[in-house]
Amino acid sequence: MKRLKKPEDLENLRGKLISKRDPSRPCIILSSGTCGLANRSDEVASAFQEAIPKKGLNGGPDLRITGCLGFCEREPIVIIHPRRIFYPSVKPDDVSEIINETVLKDKVIDRLLYIDPVTGEKFLYEHEIPFYKKQQPLIFGHNSEVDPRSIDDYIRIGGYSALSKTLSSIDSEEVIEIVKRSGLRGRGGGGFPTGVKWESCCRAEGEPKYVMCNADEGDPGAYMDRSVLEGNPHSVLEGMIVGAYAIGAHEGYMYVREEYPLACEHFSIALEQAREYGFLGRNILGSGFDFDVKVNRGGGAFVCGESTALMASIEGRVGEPRAKHVHTVEKGLWDKPSNLNNVETWANVPLIINKGWRWYSQIGTERSKGTKIFSLVGKVINTGLIEVPMGITLREVIYDIGGGIKGGKGFKAVQTGGPSGGVIPENLLDLPVDFDRLTEVGSMMGSGGMIVMDEDNCMIDIAKYFVNFLKDESCGKCTPCRQGLIQMYEILTDITEGRGKEGDIELLEELAWVMSNSSLCALGTSAANPVLTTLKYFRNEYEVHINEKRCPARVCKALVTYTIDEENCNGCTLCLKRCPTDAITGEPKQVHKIDGEKCIKCGICYDTCKFEAVIVE
Amino acid sequence: MNYPLFLPLVYFLPQAGHPPNWHRSAAATEKLNVVAFSLDVFETHFIYFFARLRSGDRMKKIGVFICHCGINIANTVDVEKVTREIAEYPGVAHAENYTYMCSDPGQALIAKAIKEKELDAVVVAACSPTLHELTFRKVSRATGLNPYQCEIANIREQCSWVHPEKHVATSKALRIIKTVVEKARYNESLDPISVSLTKKALVIGGGIAGIQASLDIANSGYEVVLVERTPSIGGHMAQLSETFPTLDCSQCILTPRMVEVAQHPKITLHTYSEIEDISGYAGNFKIKIKKKPRYVDEDKCTSCGDCMIACPVRNEPHVQPQPKYSSQIEKKELGKLDAIISKYSASPPRKEMLIQILQDVNSEYNYLPEHTLKYVSEKLEIPLTQVYHVATFYTAFSLKPRGRHLIKVCMGTACHTRGALRVLEELERRLEIKAGETTRDLEFTLETVNCLGCCALGPVVVVGNDYHAAMLPGQVDSLLEAYRSKEN
Repeated sequence: MKRLKKPEDLENLRGKLISKRDPSRPCIILSSGTCGLANRSDEVASAFQEAIPKKGLNGGPDLRITGCLGFCEREPIVIIHPRRIFYPSVKPDDVSEIINETVLKDKVIDRLLYIDPVTGEKFLYEHEIPFYKKQQPLIFGHNSEVDPRSIDDYIRIGGYSALSKTLSSIDSEEVIEIVKRSGLRGRGGGGFPTGVKWESCCRAEGEPKYVMCNADEGDPGAYMDRSVLEGNPHSVLEGMIVGAYAIGAHEGYMYVREEYPLACEHFSIALEQAREYGFLGRNILGSGFDFDVKVNRGGGAFVCGESTALMASIEGRVGEPRAKHVHTVEKGLWDKPSNLNNVETWANVPLIINKGWRWYSQIGTERSKGTKIFSLVGKVINTGLIEVPMGITLREVIYDIGGGIKGGKGFKAVQTGGPSGGVIPENLLDLPVDFDRLTEVGSMMGSGGMIVMDEDNCMIDIAKYFVNFLKDESCGKCTPCRQGLIQMYEILTDITEGRGKEGDIELLEELAWVMSNSSLCALGTSAANPVLTTLKYFRNEYEVHINEKRCPARVCKALVTYTIDEENCNGCTLCLKRCPTDAITGEPKQVHKIDGEKCIKCGICYDTCKFEAVIVE
Repeated sequence: MNYPLFLPLVYFLPQAGHPPNWHRSAAATEKLNVVAFSLDVFETHFIYFFARLRSGDRMKKIGVFICHCGINIANTVDVEKVTREIAEYPGVAHAENYTYMCSDPGQALIAKAIKEKELDAVVVAACSPTLHELTFRKVSRATGLNPYQCEIANIREQCSWVHPEKHVATSKALRIIKTVVEKARYNESLDPISVSLTKKALVIGGGIAGIQASLDIANSGYEVVLVERTPSIGGHMAQLSETFPTLDCSQCILTPRMVEVAQHPKITLHTYSEIEDISGYAGNFKIKIKKKPRYVDEDKCTSCGDCMIACPVRNEPHVQPQPKYSSQIEKKELGKLDAIISKYSASPPRKEMLIQILQDVNSEYNYLPEHTLKYVSEKLEIPLTQVYHVATFYTAFSLKPRGRHLIKVCMGTACHTRGALRVLEELERRLEIKAGETTRDLEFTLETVNCLGCCALGPVVVVGNDYHAAMLPGQVDSLLEAYRSKEN
């Protein structure tokens, strides 16, 4: 690859790449991000790679292995370009048929088409599928267009044009002004106006300055950063280079959490390629601006998503946050001005530069501009990553895009914002999703995790889950967080195990008040939110647990019994064989029985029984 | 007896273990008894000879009074036998035994014998002198005998109470009494004298113990001289942050006492001083104190500290040099570790690369062995405690060896709502270990992970690099089997 010395070189290259590729040429797009890999997409890929030359198709279709395409539960997805025929959940055995029928003969394979679980309708094309219909994938949409390991793919679709435009024709102050006017706010959860942050860092005293990307994404249930980084790493890198130019930084860090090896790998490859082309290093595109990026892997600590802890980790120290009387934009990494932004925030930057701040500020609500990628997971029918304009309602997300609740069960609540957020009940589903509206009702948008819960989820169990998570991840430096979480966990455990007593709820509220007012960092101050929101909207459930020692959702093991329904049981002995504690007795063809004393409530019999003969109450 | 003849013989007798070990087996003791007894015979005459030599013709008349102490002595020591035998001993003019020698009648016996037999010395064989030495000395004084001519032979705590076998106890009792009789033989009468006492105390050491001792003595009304080697009193307590277990601020409770010492009218404080010489005796010591030169006029100094700030020669804190661990590690290991470290840090060492280096070491060894942490500490010049702090903070690191297959169960919210806990419990049940542990055969390590980012596919279990989606507890068994039979 030849180094690009000036913007014209880039334009020439782009022209060449575009002309080399015939847009109507068939291309097999296969999604193979981490989700895909979990469903054997690597085997599908190998099958394609073997089959294509075999069928004498050497001049034939391209195979583009991309990152995540959003419809995660249906991965690996195959899209046949140019018709954009959409085949979800492809297996290695389907490959030869796909090639023979669809690729060679342009015939649609009916059995592989997407069937909407709600309506039973079959869909041919991606953009018709309800899951995709209401989305506005400005950032995510490019994932299907690029092979993340190919910088040429990115350039072909217009990549690095924002950088080129910036370096050649926009002043650094003007860049900051553009970002400010666009209304872009941090996508990591804090929602701080990005342009303002850049401005503070630019004005701060001290050299050298640093720009950083926070790819720690610790919120359980959130994985959009992973998908963006895996699927389109150059978009993030381009944003970082633009930001560095605006702020006046020459060194950048990408902090990736340890649990995302593929994202780390793809970004590292992207760095290498960018260096070769001259987008990183000295005198980028002849502008005189120098910049390069290093990659740091996390060590498996949620708290390292907090800015000061993240910087401590880069410095090789323990990830303990510090009080932020002085912000990191003034004294951050090695006490120098540092600008830390989330992956998705950086990915929005090239878009804003290319399309202009006016265009961008027209998307979204008054105070929350642009689109946001959410991870819609839990008990919805269509789970995956979605990108929607801010201001869309929760109801639209869950029902129109998500398809409603699985198994026809009743909706109970949606948890947003990860461990710092809270639950939102049914009657608030018409709230628009943005930075501020959800905060008003006690939750927050956070990094974009949306976990849908149905009648089979116990709210106290959920609260206990989050408290347990935070208790483990607390760095331990300040007493309110460290001790408060332990105490909250014990109280919640008592409640779920039938030892709840009068006064527990008040005690939880008191603990929450102390923690939110005196913890050192946001982990502690927001730790009580899951408990407080579940109390606010589901107080009744707490009371039933405490006073009646009963779990209406039949989740809390100590309060639940498993029995066999005599009417439905036909004595097939399947559950008997599977029971790990031999708690089930019975002769073949005779009604079985569960010994309550031996039963450990693991649920295996419930899963195994095909006749719905196991009752849990 | 022809004593001169016996004398040389005594010299040539082999020493039969001096003193004989009474704790050996009965048989051996028997033998020893015989030997000891034989010795006794020689000894007796040997001693008698010398005694006569010393005191001339007039032998001191010693009375021996053996106490039964109820059954405490009499049950184990044959008091009658001892009385008989000791009566034969040279110089013993009177020997008798009684149930409770310390009682009034017992004391009366002693007084009577002293008067009637004109005894010059008295040996009471009974309990420890700490108990009744005073009693019997008073009896002696009352009869006109100098109390220091009265000796106690302890045949209870040192004999009957520690030797259960009668013959052993009896022989030993006899031996003890004879020893004390010998002492009594050479005792001189003593008369207490009165000596003037200087009511002043010297306390050496100005730490908290010395400070408190000085205050206690001074507050009781006596003069105290407190000598401290270092320039200030306070000692180690002044250097601590908190005391245990009250968590008091150490200096807050110490400094009031320090000030009290400095201001106390009865305490003379010598700091930066050492003791050069101590002579004299209790009540009349003569001490030489060396005051080391301060080059500061103590009368004028106000302790403002300005001189310290102005001084261009500063005392650097003494930092212990880092220990060299590499000498304890074999060369092959060093080479392996050097290869990893040099990827990230050359010279000067880049301390910020610690986490990155540990991650590579963790992958290489499947955990972080102790010697690797030590070597990294040495090469990067980071204290070992800090290396451990980092190694124990981040969950990616393990300080214990991990299994061939690392099973990670995602405990993210989405996976949790879909029953990840039940999958984990089934794994724990099948592998018979808890999350965080490794199976005995080092095949599997089970860990939980807070969100792998595969939320749509929950519950997710990762084994090594393989992702397994939508796990059900029922599938655990076959999953484990598949990996067990896998070759490496």
